[in-house]
Amino acid sequence: MKVSLFVTCLVDQLFPTVGVSMVEVLRRVGCEVVFDERQTCCGQPAFNTGYRHEAQKFAKRFIEIFEDSDAEAIVAPSGSCTAMVKHFHELFPDDKTWRERADKIAAKTYELAGFLVNVLNKVDVGASASGRFTWHDACHGLRELGLRNEPRLLLKNVKELEFIEMSNADVCCGFGGTFSVKYPEISAGILDNKIEAIEKANIDAVVSGDASCLMQIGGRLSRLGLKTKTMHLAEVLALQQ
Amino acid sequence: MERMTSETFDQNARAALNDAMLHQALRRLADTFGDKRKKAIATVADWEGLRTGARAIKDDVLLHLDTYLEQFATNAERAGAKVHWARDGAEACDLVLNIVKTRGATNIVKSKSMVTEEIHLNRALEDEGLDPVETDLGEWIIQLADETPSHIVVPAIHKTKGQIADLFVEKVGIEKTDDVDELTYTARRFLRERFAKTEIGISGANFCVAETGSLLILENEGNIRLTTSLPKTHIAVVGIEKIVPRLTDLDVFLKLLPRSGTGQNLTAYQSIITGVKQNADDEGPEEVHIILLDNGRSRMLAHPVTRQSLACIRCGACLNACPVYQQIGGHAYGSVYPGPIGAVITPQLIGLSKAKQLPYASSLCGACREVCPVKIDIPELLLHLRAEITDGSANGISADTSTRKKFGESLAFRLYGYLWAGEARYRFGMKAARLFQTLVARRGKIGKAGKLLSALVPPLGAWTARRDAPTAAGKSFREQWRDGLEDK
Amino acid sequence: MARRAGGQMMAAGAIHRMNSATARESILASIRENLAASAAFNDAHAMLHLDRAEIAASEHSPIIRDSILGNFQKNLELVGGHLHIVRNEREAADAVRSTIEALGGSKIAISDSPLVTSIANELSAIEFVQNADREFLFDSDLGITVAQWAIAETGTLVLTSDSERHRLTSLVPPVHICVLEAGNIRQTLGEILERIEPDRSRTVTFITGASRTSDIELTLAIGVHGPRELHVVIIDRRS
Repeated sequence: MKVSLFVTCLVDQLFPTVGVSMVEVLRRVGCEVVFDERQTCCGQPAFNTGYRHEAQKFAKRFIEIFEDSDAEAIVAPSGSCTAMVKHFHELFPDDKTWRERADKIAAKTYELAGFLVNVLNKVDVGASASGRFTWHDACHGLRELGLRNEPRLLLKNVKELEFIEMSNADVCCGFGGTFSVKYPEISAGILDNKIEAIEKANIDAVVSGDASCLMQIGGRLSRLGLKTKTMHLAEVLALQQ
Repeated sequence: MERMTSETFDQNARAALNDAMLHQALRRLADTFGDKRKKAIATVADWEGLRTGARAIKDDVLLHLDTYLEQFATNAERAGAKVHWARDGAEACDLVLNIVKTRGATNIVKSKSMVTEEIHLNRALEDEGLDPVETDLGEWIIQLADETPSHIVVPAIHKTKGQIADLFVEKVGIEKTDDVDELTYTARRFLRERFAKTEIGISGANFCVAETGSLLILENEGNIRLTTSLPKTHIAVVGIEKIVPRLTDLDVFLKLLPRSGTGQNLTAYQSIITGVKQNADDEGPEEVHIILLDNGRSRMLAHPVTRQSLACIRCGACLNACPVYQQIGGHAYGSVYPGPIGAVITPQLIGLSKAKQLPYASSLCGACREVCPVKIDIPELLLHLRAEITDGSANGISADTSTRKKFGESLAFRLYGYLWAGEARYRFGMKAARLFQTLVARRGKIGKAGKLLSALVPPLGAWTARRDAPTAAGKSFREQWRDGLEDK
Repeated sequence: MARRAGGQMMAAGAIHRMNSATARESILASIRENLAASAAFNDAHAMLHLDRAEIAASEHSPIIRDSILGNFQKNLELVGGHLHIVRNEREAADAVRSTIEALGGSKIAISDSPLVTSIANELSAIEFVQNADREFLFDSDLGITVAQWAIAETGTLVLTSDSERHRLTSLVPPVHICVLEAGNIRQTLGEILERIEPDRSRTVTFITGASRTSDIELTLAIGVHGPRELHVVIIDRRS
């Protein structure tokens, strides 16, 4: 299957190994991977903060770029960015044509775990990694895309990997985009509950599908000097230790 | 007592985060109600079906609210109730005062009603020299403490039993105890004396049935039954959105509300009250007054996104599920309705400019939407309000132009919009950002230059106060793609 | 307070009615205006929510349908109610007597239900007060009523005001004894809602267990304003 990468600006600039890992995994399962370098951002920060005019511009650009592709699927290493594409529809309340174009693109945009399990029907991607790993449910991936079992299945099929379910895995990490800097104390309070659950699980790494959550969680683990690592699902699935 | 307002939300939140006893109470709330709700839901065969059905009923009602309200009023009046209409809180309070004065009554008992908090009814009565006593245990506690409720269902959740005991010692004159049964018994004893002689009972109602003109009121304590049975006059204040079309519609709501609100399959008591008694020597009040309150609700009908606010059945489940509420509690919101539902209806009720922080006080995690029995999409509402507050771009509710745009933030987003709009500009912008970032974080830790920059750029400072930041990578993904990843 | 209207002083009641009529029209007009304004957005918004897949998976366990009586018993006991199942009125009277003796109460209020009256007559050694006044009720130890219906799925008693003066007798005394014909128990709340006639019965009261609250530190306390104990005597004439 031909897959067009929606790498997301966060991964592109701050976590490129996630993008590289995702390419590796997709190729391993037999996909042809293309990357349209014109892409920049899905506009989620603008939309979430209330700047819909800006968000609409991003949406139009995204739709135009990806309409050019003959790929059967657009795959992103992010639940929140994938969910944003599904929200493009709301940016065109007065324009049926743009809404339809948005829906067409949204229909073939997938988050990585959802794509692997639900489209390619793969739960074993030939990965192996030893250690105790747990999964943090990033909110958009879980609640907007309905991905709860898919990432867990993928992790449980990684050879050698010991999967631990931590308490309150599905509770927010407190990032929420600009929320983390508009209300940093509240964000930190929510984050500390997550750190508590992570420590209680006594694992080597916490895995998630959204780099933003990993940035939030990893940032605090680092500040506290804790040994637990953060990894993106793509990075774990790319491992062949 | 100085009331916190929504305008100082950020300060309120910071104070709440430093309150250790509140923190304990909120932890208890989160742990307890989460489990209870899950267990209660498991006793229902098709929970999702119930939610969908309830929302469908509410959608129908809201789209024909005028018709259903008229039907309700007609049927309630036919059964002997007096129906009044109040455009706003002041009008509603005047109506209540008028009834009280006409009856020449002074002994007023009240049962728990969020809408009477909304219109500050107690204050209006007290200003006229009256002395309404709250009879719900939690509401009585906060009345004695001269506070406002911090939760829709358990208003005194922020208080420890030690604090409550001290309050009772001071205001009621009991001996200090930390036994919950004894404290509860104190309330029973004290309030029964008022009940025995009460002349006017003021309540809310959970649902109003259009087809019969009936009120349905749920409770666990029994004070609502006393309030609506003992006095000669019963006044019920209800928001206009509380209508359901048929008596049989109550079934789905009675399955959803107790489970969502308190994790019970059913509350201890429900009363379905229709009009007044038919015979003078029957039990019950001689007069039943129903006050239908608008107070900004009709405005919410103007857009499908805001209209769903009116589907709320005031269960409080969203509060219990919300990670933000779990951190700061209810008072920090500075409004009658706290938590996720409060964050969306408060700006609509009191004006965007007076509550413009509230829609931003959320990580958009969606836990509220997941637990809402009537499937209100609160994140969608929050985003809609954010767009309204920012630049009125949500198309629909009239932008309250007194919400001043934040200049710095607005500029930042314009810049972001510009830079990210083209690939060359994006690459340039990102190179600059990566360079800037290396000044802040080295090997993942914040360096000295970083600390200085953090002080100068507030969002950066906000991040680095408690968290380290990742270092920008040597090569971006797109650079690596070009450099060989494409052809691998 | 009388407001000036067109130079004339109007009686308070008349102003009140006039204001109320104006308020009513104003509210209804506001509703209609705002609904009309939303019409442009309704279709697009509805499509949005149709497109989104039904994500939430509900994990539920099926309801086990025991016999109606068995179900009622199970659910009543779950909420702490005490159940006595008897075969006829005489045994019901016995159950009532033994409950009274166990509780040691002497001031007993009863409703005007024929069944309760008949049971009271049978227990001639005990003093009952029917249609008691407030003073007696607030001082009483026990209240006895029947229930016109009951709901098995929740262990709920349903009392209708057209059949019986139940409101205070079932509420004010600290203990409530309720006599119920097994044939009047239905499985679901929905069935009851179909049967009650609000126009005839101006108050319908649903009782599920004793009065309770968790307002103090989420700790359960029983017997706040209503009874702290509920006893149900079911007459199952089939056995």
